[in-house]
Amino acid sequence: MYRGEKKTIFYVLGLYLSSTLLLISTIFVSYYYYEKDQFEHNEKDILKKYTFLLTQQLSRLNENSSERYKYPRFDEFESAIYDIDENLIFSTNRDINITNFKDSFFIKESNSYLLSPLTPYYFGAAYIVIEKKSKNLVKSIDKLIFIAIVTIIITLVTSIFLVNLVLKPMRDNIKLLDSFIKDTTHELNTPITAILTNIETIDSSSCDEKALRKLQRIKIASQSISNIYEDLVYILLNHKTSTQNIELNLREMLEQRIEYFTNMANAKNINLILDAKQDFSFNADKKKMQRLIDNLLSNALKYSYKATTIKVVLIKNSLSIEDEGKGMSEKEVKNIFTRYLRFDKSQGGFGIGYSIVKSIADEYHINIDIVSKQNHGTKVTLSW
Amino acid sequence: MVRFLSFFLLFFINTDASEFDKNCFDCHSQDFKFHIIMNKYTLKYSSEKRIKEAMFDYLREPSSEKSVLPLEYIQKFGLKDKSPLDDKTLREMIDIYYKEYNLQSKIY
Repeated sequence: MYRGEKKTIFYVLGLYLSSTLLLISTIFVSYYYYEKDQFEHNEKDILKKYTFLLTQQLSRLNENSSERYKYPRFDEFESAIYDIDENLIFSTNRDINITNFKDSFFIKESNSYLLSPLTPYYFGAAYIVIEKKSKNLVKSIDKLIFIAIVTIIITLVTSIFLVNLVLKPMRDNIKLLDSFIKDTTHELNTPITAILTNIETIDSSSCDEKALRKLQRIKIASQSISNIYEDLVYILLNHKTSTQNIELNLREMLEQRIEYFTNMANAKNINLILDAKQDFSFNADKKKMQRLIDNLLSNALKYSYKATTIKVVLIKNSLSIEDEGKGMSEKEVKNIFTRYLRFDKSQGGFGIGYSIVKSIADEYHINIDIVSKQNHGTKVTLSW
Repeated sequence: MVRFLSFFLLFFINTDASEFDKNCFDCHSQDFKFHIIMNKYTLKYSSEKRIKEAMFDYLREPSSEKSVLPLEYIQKFGLKDKSPLDDKTLREMIDIYYKEYNLQSKIY
């Protein structure tokens, strides 16, 4: 998986899933309320019919003058009558217990109830309550939840498939670009090495001053290409280079790297000063430490003004490189480790230097502190 | 003990009945349809409390508006006179009447 791909997948999945889930839940909630409404409507209709039936029977019964009256009973439903002061007159089911006379229709413990006012008050009944067993709505909800879960799972699977489909062209392009850069880098290796080796072997005493200057320029340019090449190799191999940690003498290493960059410094009339009074050792991979120092020095040289000083100070557990260059804003310092980000497009490079520095520093638990002031310079301090 | 209780209850029931006879049949004849009046009150007032209150109110101050009987009936036979009974006795008589004739206790 490419860098950032996971993030993209999460974003796309999150966006797709949340919108789909929102849609699904809206549909299901609406459907549930529709079902509930339908259910209540049907129940009410049936209960109203029963109420009418009971009212008719009560009316008929009331017309007869008798010593005793047999309350009408039905197989399909239970009923109760209450007087105007909400006192129970008669009930076919002792479980009917109405406390709230404001709700005309309600469902309780899988029974539907309809409370209807009655006039005239046959046998004093001002309210008729009809109770009937109702279809269990909870079962419908369970069914609905089950369908919702299945739909969500299908959506999830579809979304993963969709994300892969969407990302495929991007992946192919990145793959293509990667292989192109890899091939190019590989092809660059041989000529760079050849140029650098041959420059070293040229006898400078046999050249006139003009030729020597040209030679120096070629050497600097080759070193720059070599640096870029090394950085690209580091990035392309995705830091999977074999690590061989050894005790490094940092002072020696700094002296070597400063000497390596001397030509570049001279070209801009920059004074590269190393302040390292003691030898300090550090356990790390030589190539990685070299990349770390090279990137810091190369950046310092790149952004330094002409005829200034770059001060490299090595003390116990700390190395600082301070230039007198353009400096950076607070925002730029904050984003400095973002790969391929270049603040100054007038300067060459890919914007991968600080990203490599950060990656190596993190690997060796080195803390990076950057203090920068625009038009004054930048001080990078590594501490461990 | 059972015999004593039965006697006691019988005594009171009879006392009630005789009081009702004495106070009510003075004005109402023996063939007065007490159960019809009760039915009409029940149809109009529903609960025991409201029925008793309406009866008391009517007997204290009879008027065609308060009557449960149709207007034609009142126009033909006229309104009853005010009850000569005092409030306490009147309420007691209404209680006996309700107890004896109410429809709700007859439902089974």
